[in-house]
Amino acid sequence: MSTPTALLAQGLTKVFFPHTINEVVALNGISLRVDPGDFITIIGSNGSGKSTLLNAIAGTVSVTAGTVWLEGKDITKLAEHARARSIGRVFQDPRAGTAPSMSIQENLAMAYLRGRRRGLRPGVPARLKRQMKEQLAELDMGLETRLTAHVNKLSGGQRQAMSLLMATVAEPRLLLLDEHTAALDPKVAATIMDLTGKIVQERGLTTLMVTHNMEIALQWGNRLIMMHAGRIILDVASAQKETLTIPGLIRKFHEVSGETLAVDRMLLE
Amino acid sequence: MQSVVTSALEQGLLYGFMVLGVFLTFRVLDFPDLTVDGSLPLGAAVTALIITSGYSPWLATIAGTAVGLIAGLVTGGLHLLLKSGDGNSTNYGPKLLAGILVMTALYTTNLRIMSGSNVPLLREPNVFDQVGGWLSVHMIGWWLILVLVIFMLIVKYVLDWFLHTELGLALQATGDNEQMLRSLGVNTNVVRVLGLGLANALVALSGSLVAQYQGFADVGMGIGTIVAGLAGVIIGEVLFGTRSISWVLFSVIGGSIVFRLLISISLRLGIAPTDLKLFTALLVVLALSLPTVRRKVIRM
Repeated sequence: MSTPTALLAQGLTKVFFPHTINEVVALNGISLRVDPGDFITIIGSNGSGKSTLLNAIAGTVSVTAGTVWLEGKDITKLAEHARARSIGRVFQDPRAGTAPSMSIQENLAMAYLRGRRRGLRPGVPARLKRQMKEQLAELDMGLETRLTAHVNKLSGGQRQAMSLLMATVAEPRLLLLDEHTAALDPKVAATIMDLTGKIVQERGLTTLMVTHNMEIALQWGNRLIMMHAGRIILDVASAQKETLTIPGLIRKFHEVSGETLAVDRMLLE
Repeated sequence: MQSVVTSALEQGLLYGFMVLGVFLTFRVLDFPDLTVDGSLPLGAAVTALIITSGYSPWLATIAGTAVGLIAGLVTGGLHLLLKSGDGNSTNYGPKLLAGILVMTALYTTNLRIMSGSNVPLLREPNVFDQVGGWLSVHMIGWWLILVLVIFMLIVKYVLDWFLHTELGLALQATGDNEQMLRSLGVNTNVVRVLGLGLANALVALSGSLVAQYQGFADVGMGIGTIVAGLAGVIIGEVLFGTRSISWVLFSVIGGSIVFRLLISISLRLGIAPTDLKLFTALLVVLALSLPTVRRKVIRM
């Protein structure tokens, strides 16, 4: 490939329960090209395939057809853990991103080793502790003084902030955020979103962020994608995105899909 | 009474290695591993075979332990075959089945290794007598307990150290949040197989030492190992607490000793040896329900 592409997906298709009465086409031939440093927000109603798209890129779900390249390398056949060496993820459930009965420093230390071989060196090396404290202090949640506290003692917001830090400390080539603020109360969600914006910008991470919240989708990122029935029905680039409003977005949805958008959940978040 | 205490200490420590193994699978890996009923006598059988063939009991102990490791690796590999797709870590079916299959296969294996159902070792050299020879003491009672305590401390500290290495943290996280660990780029399947190997090595070590201590290896000596192991883990956790991994390793060894003490006392009180397994099972039920009962009482 001549131009540098961070992520390239071609003809991604995922059919759940094929050839049965429950057959669901979650992804219907999705093609997507992501430039390095892109921060793309992805919206769409329930069942539109947003999460399946992230899962297909991360390898949690194996695709029925199509190919995914990460920085020019075909990763379609790689196992999830092998892809995770260069892909960081934050999930919707704040409990998903951390090991609850292990300490803050143990969780972080495991995240520093992303993509590296794990051996018999100390799991939490002393030299890392200062760096950990600095990075935890940047979260501004008072975690820097609680390195040995178990993660299950933390609030949902604190745990999600930890998850975000753990997904990004080893500077992955791609960051996938799957509605990572949806399970938090609005104030905490806003804090986590601000943190996300800060980290993504500071580290210049190529990011795909799925959200239900149109406001968030418009406010953040340099490109917006709308999905419907397993397809990308709208792809708005930077300049155009800035002029977009929520009513405008809903109108666009009508034009493109010819259907009424299930706005209730999307607007009332 | 003194003999009740010393024999409970001896057995509690000897089986304590097994309890550490059960703790590793049941608690750390969240893998209820039934292989242990087969890997304990496997350690004993291999040790008996090598000692009766005229080799050093040390070599026999190491070999018994190593073969236990292999049994654990087989269970881990079988689990990978049995679980479907990515495998849901809270799906215990394939885990139980993998353990049951290996345990069953090991029954025949053990009979083959021993060419029969038991091998007497009373007239053979063993590691305890050899240590006794170095120290010029008769290896019974408190001397034996002292040596066992020292050996147990060494194993405990090595295990504790391992669980806090990079690999050890991955082992802990595999049982705690497998999905998270995978999303950090770790092949949790490999880690789990390794953990099962390590755990069954400890169980086989226990079997090897028990055989040398009691003077025979028997194909039936593994029956109920998982229950006895659980009893040790749960009694230890309930009595001594779980504040950290380092601490809980001590707790479960303590639990093992308390469990053997309860067995010794109940035998003294006239419970027939044939009724012992029922008693053991009841003990586990009791220990399991204690935290729940305690919580309910506090709420009332």
